[in-house]
Amino acid sequence: MIPAIAFYLLAAVTVASAVLVVTLRNTVHCALALGICLASVAGIFANLGADFLFAGQLLIYVGGIAVLMTFVVMLLGRASDMHNRQVNQQWAAALLICAITGTGLWHAARVYLHVTKAAAGGPTTRAIGLLMLGDLAIPFELISLVLIAALLGAIFFSHAERP
Amino acid sequence: MTPSLGHYLALGGLLFLAGIFGALTRRNVVGILMSIELMFNAANINLAAFNHFLHPAGALGMTMALFIIAVAAAEVVVGLALVLAIYRNANSVYVEEFNLLKG
Repeated sequence: MIPAIAFYLLAAVTVASAVLVVTLRNTVHCALALGICLASVAGIFANLGADFLFAGQLLIYVGGIAVLMTFVVMLLGRASDMHNRQVNQQWAAALLICAITGTGLWHAARVYLHVTKAAAGGPTTRAIGLLMLGDLAIPFELISLVLIAALLGAIFFSHAERP
Repeated sequence: MTPSLGHYLALGGLLFLAGIFGALTRRNVVGILMSIELMFNAANINLAAFNHFLHPAGALGMTMALFIIAVAAAEVVVGLALVLAIYRNANSVYVEEFNLLKG
């Protein structure tokens, strides 16, 4: 009973803060709502019994990406941006695309509406570690290459040329 | 009523729809990056839910979600560095003003 209540509460917070992220006018408020949304997605992971994924989501997304977004939002823009419109004129077409995509997703999701077999809870870190150093060793190494490339790229692009 | 796999998929779908709406309508380039993060999270919820309900003994879905988190971190770091570089040149954060390559 408690996990069900927790799921519905977390789902409500997730969807509400996601809608706030895409509709709020002040970008700083958007970044804060993004932090709330990512933290409640971490709660969803905990509800699914994915403990390592929960920790990773909190460390990387909430502790890294949301904070980075907040910094960049504060570095960019001017005070006059508060009075500008933050969405373009295509919201009707975007809503149409959302409706079409949503219909397709709903038809895919309702196939699984009666799958409720609850898995036995337990730590998952050992299984993930064995997978990463076994079957998925090559993708794991490739990810470290991607991270090095991203680090170098970020330094390259954000380096200001001295006049 | 205990949540089934369909409920988690519906939650992921709603999050994805919010992300796609934001990516299509925001003018601010940082807002578009935030919407893309929402879509990454929707995919991660779906992967973890399928792992939990359909293949509880394995961990392949969660491992794939971890890979997605790593790629998303790399993407957002490079994206924000590019946004800062563009802002220094164009002095604007609105995507309709980034039309230097338009003929």
